[in-house]
Amino acid sequence: MSDLVVPRIGVAVTEVTIEEWLVEDGTTVTEGDPILTVATDKTEVEIEAPASGVLRQSGLLEETYAVGAVIGSIV
Amino acid sequence: MERHVISNDTRIAIYRSMYRIFAVDEAIRAQVMRGAVSIIYYSPRGQEGVPAAMSAALRDDDYITTTYRGLHDTLAKGADLREVIAEVIGRSGGTCKGKGGIMHLSDPRVGVMVTSGIVGAGLPIATGLALRSQMTGSDSVTVSYFGDGASNIGAFHEALNMAAVWRLPVIFVCQNNEYGEYTPRLDSMNIEKISDRAGSYGMAGVTVDGNDPDAMYAAAHAAVTRAREGGGPTLIEAKTFRLMGHVFGIDQMQYMPKEQLAAATENDPVPAYRRALVADGVLTDESANELEKSVTEEVNEAMQWALTSPVPDLSETYTDVYAEVVPA
Repeated sequence: MSDLVVPRIGVAVTEVTIEEWLVEDGTTVTEGDPILTVATDKTEVEIEAPASGVLRQSGLLEETYAVGAVIGSIV
Repeated sequence: MERHVISNDTRIAIYRSMYRIFAVDEAIRAQVMRGAVSIIYYSPRGQEGVPAAMSAALRDDDYITTTYRGLHDTLAKGADLREVIAEVIGRSGGTCKGKGGIMHLSDPRVGVMVTSGIVGAGLPIATGLALRSQMTGSDSVTVSYFGDGASNIGAFHEALNMAAVWRLPVIFVCQNNEYGEYTPRLDSMNIEKISDRAGSYGMAGVTVDGNDPDAMYAAAHAAVTRAREGGGPTLIEAKTFRLMGHVFGIDQMQYMPKEQLAAATENDPVPAYRRALVADGVLTDESANELEKSVTEEVNEAMQWALTSPVPDLSETYTDVYAEVVPA
């Protein structure tokens, strides 16, 4: 199993808001696939799957999470 | 000066170095975007050809100084792949025990003397290193890598002036990638060619296509030969482009005209040099694929090694630094 964590994507970025899950919960994904879009105070960024497997979402839409927070897993 | 003829072996070595830089950058960006490592990262993507060609004209005992966008310069100079990756991702197996990161990446064992996070700060240090070579009678030369923005900094003037006055064995290599952080180059200078500045110091200056490794190698060879033979410094302006913006991650490059980015992507030096080597019969598609596969395997192995290296222990905070512990 591999945790899906909020990546550090800039010098001043400390938290992100989940804009959209690009694939549904329970979908089989391949490492490197774009799986969700997050918003920072500056722009939107696509986050890639950290591993191959089945996506389990735990982060909620429109909710804000700190860099390093776990927002799902790949099992 | 007569243009130095580049051998097939040198061209292949340059391509291998470029592809290695490309693969390391890919591997690091993948780890950042997957949240596996938490770092600030300045990608050298698009500028691989400059130091790959430059280093082909250097010896192991020559020196370089570079900037926070200097991963390519450091790798091209021959720093250990595992230790460089570990340093960039902040692990104790790194060249600076994981405490320098991309901002202070250095490895004096292979002549990577300093990376400075201060724009322009590497140039006077390079002049100093070259002064040391001159004073000790060594024929080592120093290369200072910096950007177009740094050529507007006061330290540029001081470093080039003293180097010219004392005819020091130093080569100032400006990697002109057209942006200083988020500012277009021509918003901060009123000249087209940065190499024109060399003339005001009585120094040789040349502008070269930094994305053409053969042209870059010819300029490098001429400048290194001049420096080593006591002919003094050179300013090389290597025209290139940064394909991943300033800071990797949130930098979506909206401040760049779309046509400019599209043209630069079209001119990506890594696939372009591969095409040139295949067209010239130096590599075949098969041998190029084989080279890329072996480099990718080497890089992936190094990344796995780096990921298993622990982060520095808290007790290491005050080792190898000049600061002393301030009592709470």
